[in-house]
Amino acid sequence: MGAALAGHLIFAAVLFGGWEIASRFALVDASFLPPLAHVCAILWGFLHDAAFLGDLELTATEVAVAFLIAAPLAISSGFLLGERLHLAETFNPVVHLVLAVPQSIFLPVFILAFGIGFLEKVLFGITHAYFIILVNSFAAVRSIPPALVAAARVFGATRSQVYTRIYLPAMLPLILTGLRLGMILCIIGVLLAEMYASRRGIGRLIFSWGESYQLPELMAGILIVSILTIAVNEAMRLLELRVGRFYRSAAGS
Amino acid sequence: MKVRHIRMLLIAAAAVAAWELMVQSGLVSPIILAAPSDIALAAKKDGAVFLRALLISVTEIGMAIVIAWTLGIIFGLIVGSSYLVAAATAPVLSSIFAIPLIILYPLLMAWLGVGPLSKVVFGVLAGFFPIALNTIDGVRAIDRGYFNFARSIGATRLETNVLIVLPLALPAIVSGLRVGTGLVVIGVIVTEMLASLGGLGYVISYHRSLFDTGHVYFGMALALLIAFGVNAALTRLDRRIGHWRLRERGES
Amino acid sequence: MPIIEVTGLAKEFRSGRAVVHALRDVTFCVDERRFITLVGPSGCGKSTLLTIMAGLISPTRGEARIEGALITAPMPDRIGMVFQDPTLLPWKTALANVEFPLALRHVDPAARRKRCTELLDLVGLSEFADHYPHELSGGMRQRVAIARGLAQDPRLILMDEPFAALDEQMRTRMGHDLLEIWEKTGKTIFFITHSLTEAIYLSDTVLVMSARPGRIIDTLAIDFPRPRDLDIIGSESFGRIRNRIWHLISERQE
Repeated sequence: MGAALAGHLIFAAVLFGGWEIASRFALVDASFLPPLAHVCAILWGFLHDAAFLGDLELTATEVAVAFLIAAPLAISSGFLLGERLHLAETFNPVVHLVLAVPQSIFLPVFILAFGIGFLEKVLFGITHAYFIILVNSFAAVRSIPPALVAAARVFGATRSQVYTRIYLPAMLPLILTGLRLGMILCIIGVLLAEMYASRRGIGRLIFSWGESYQLPELMAGILIVSILTIAVNEAMRLLELRVGRFYRSAAGS
Repeated sequence: MKVRHIRMLLIAAAAVAAWELMVQSGLVSPIILAAPSDIALAAKKDGAVFLRALLISVTEIGMAIVIAWTLGIIFGLIVGSSYLVAAATAPVLSSIFAIPLIILYPLLMAWLGVGPLSKVVFGVLAGFFPIALNTIDGVRAIDRGYFNFARSIGATRLETNVLIVLPLALPAIVSGLRVGTGLVVIGVIVTEMLASLGGLGYVISYHRSLFDTGHVYFGMALALLIAFGVNAALTRLDRRIGHWRLRERGES
Repeated sequence: MPIIEVTGLAKEFRSGRAVVHALRDVTFCVDERRFITLVGPSGCGKSTLLTIMAGLISPTRGEARIEGALITAPMPDRIGMVFQDPTLLPWKTALANVEFPLALRHVDPAARRKRCTELLDLVGLSEFADHYPHELSGGMRQRVAIARGLAQDPRLILMDEPFAALDEQMRTRMGHDLLEIWEKTGKTIFFITHSLTEAIYLSDTVLVMSARPGRIIDTLAIDFPRPRDLDIIGSESFGRIRNRIWHLISERQE
C-alpha cells in the first residue's frame, strides 16, 4: 500500500519535475512544451469557464447515460446466460467473437447509421461497455460454488433468499470488476466518437486544440481528463476492494 | 465432418443472399448496411488503393508491435526482479492504463505530425502497458527457489534472467502480448481514422465522408482481417507455450 | 579429515525494528565422505545454516569453510544443492535439466551428455531422460534434482528436506535409494530433515539443533552397520536413539 503511494508520488515528481526543468531551462522549444505554470493557469481558468464546463458536462452525461443503460442490460444478460447454460452454448461463440473484434473500428459504420449526435455517441459507448460487463457477469454467476447453494437449500432457504444472501455477495466482486472495466471502455468509446465526428464535448475540444496546435489548452485538457478518469477508476477499484474484503469475511460465516 | 462443412457453407450462402436481398429491397438503407454486391464492387474498383493502404497500416502496426513487445518485456523483466520496485511501479502503470490513451493522440499529432510516426508511437503506447504489467506479474510469480537454484549453480545475473526467468514468466508474458497486440492494432487503425495521410483507417474514413458504404465495409473487412490474423497468430503462440504451463506447479 | 568446518556461526536478521537471532554460536565439523544429518524443531534455523553453508547468504559472525577455503559465495564446483522443491525447468527434458549447470559452464556437449546420462542412470531414471517434469511424479522429479546436484561433481552435497513433500512410502524408498547413490559416488552429504527416523536411518552422525536461536546441543554417532536394512527402524536400539533425540529437542523448547 505504502509502496504504491510512493510509486505514484515519485512518478508525479519525475513527470512534472522533468516538465518544469525542460521548459525552465529551455531544453525544449516553448511551443512544443509550454511551461507547467502556464498550463496550470489555463487549467484553472477552464474550471471557471462556462463553455468548457458545458462541454465537460456533455461528455460526462453521454458516458453516464451509456453506462447506466449498458450495465443493467449486461448484468442481466450475463445472469441469464449463466443460469441457462444452453443459451450460453449458443451465444458464447458470438460474444467471444465480438470481444475479439475491436469495437472501436466500427466507428465509421456507426456514424453512417446513426449520424453525429448524442444518440450515436451514447450507443457507441454502450457497445463498448456492454460486452465486457456481460462477460464478467457471466463469469460471476459461474463462479458461485455449487456447494454453497446446495448448503443453503439444505438449510431451507427460499428462492429469493438464495439470490440475495448467496448469489449477490458471491457475484459482487467480479461484477464490480466488470463494471470498472466497462466504465473505462465506455469513456474511451465516447471520447473517440467525440474526437472523430462531433461538434461538442471534451473529446472534440481536445482534438481541435491538437489540430490548431494550441498546446497549452491541449495539455490542460489532457490533464483534466486524465485526473478525472484516474479518479473514477480508483474510486471503483476501492469499492471492489471493500466489497471483496467484506465478501471474504462474510463467506467465512 | 464433410457434411457439417457443407451445411455451414450453405447457411453462410443463404445468409449472404438474405443480406443482399435486405438491402436491395430497401428494407435496410444502403447507407447503413452495404450489400455484398456493393462491397464486391468496391473491391474491384479500388482494390489497389485499399491494398496500398493496407500495406501502410500493416507496416505501422508491425513496427509498433516490435517496439511495444521489446520495451514492455524488458521493462517488465527489470522492474519485476525487485519486489520493492514492482510494488511501487505496477500500481502506477495500472493507473495510467485507466486513462483513455486516445486522448493523448492529439498531443502526438501536434508533436509528431499526422504521418506514420505518430501512429507508431501511439501504437507502442497502447500496447506497452498490458505487456509490461503482465511481464511484471509473471516475474513476481516465479518461485523464489529458482533464484536460489540459479545462484547455487553459479549463474550470472544475465544468465538467470534470460535462461530461467524469461522462460518461466513466458506464459504470463504471452497473455500480456495478446491483449497488448490487440490494442496496438486498434490504436493504429483508429488514429489513422482520426487524422492521417494514409493507411487503412484513413481510406475508410475518406469513403465514409462520401457515404460510399460499400467501400467503408470493404475497408472494415480488411481491418478485421488484420485484427483476426494477429489474434489467431498469438493464440497459436499461447497454445504452444501452454503445453507445459498447465503442469508447471506439479499437478501430475 | 574434516572437509567442512563451521566455527562460531551466528546469524541475525533485521525485520523492521526487531532483530531475529536465527543462529547463535554454531560449531561443528563434518568428515569427508560422511552422511551427516541435522535435526531440530521447526524454525530453529536449520535452513538458515544450510543457506550460509551454500554461500547464498553470509553469516553475521563466525565462518564456514570447505576444504579450508572460506565460504563467502556459492561454489558450484565444490558444493551442490538439492532443495525441497526440485525447481526443475519445466520446458526442458529430464536430461536437459541435469545438463543445465554444465551447459552454463560451456562444457563440451558430447561429454556432458555422456556424464548426465550416467547420472540419470545412477538415480534410476535412464528410461525417462526424454520426459518433461510435468510427466514425472514428485519422487522422480526429486531424483532428477539429485542428479542435477551431482552434475558438477561437487565434493559436498547440501540437501534441505528434499523428501518432505513426498508421501511416507515414497520418502522411505527415496531415502534407501539415496544411500545407494551416496555409497556409489562417495560424496559428503549434509542433510536436513524434520523426521528423526529418516535422520537416524540415513546418517553416520546426527547433529541436534536447539530451538531458536539455534545451537548444536548434541552430536550423536550412529553405529548401525552399512549397507542398512529398513528393518533396523523397528529395532530397540533405533528406538532408544530416537527417544534420546526427541527428548533433547523437546526439553529445549522452553
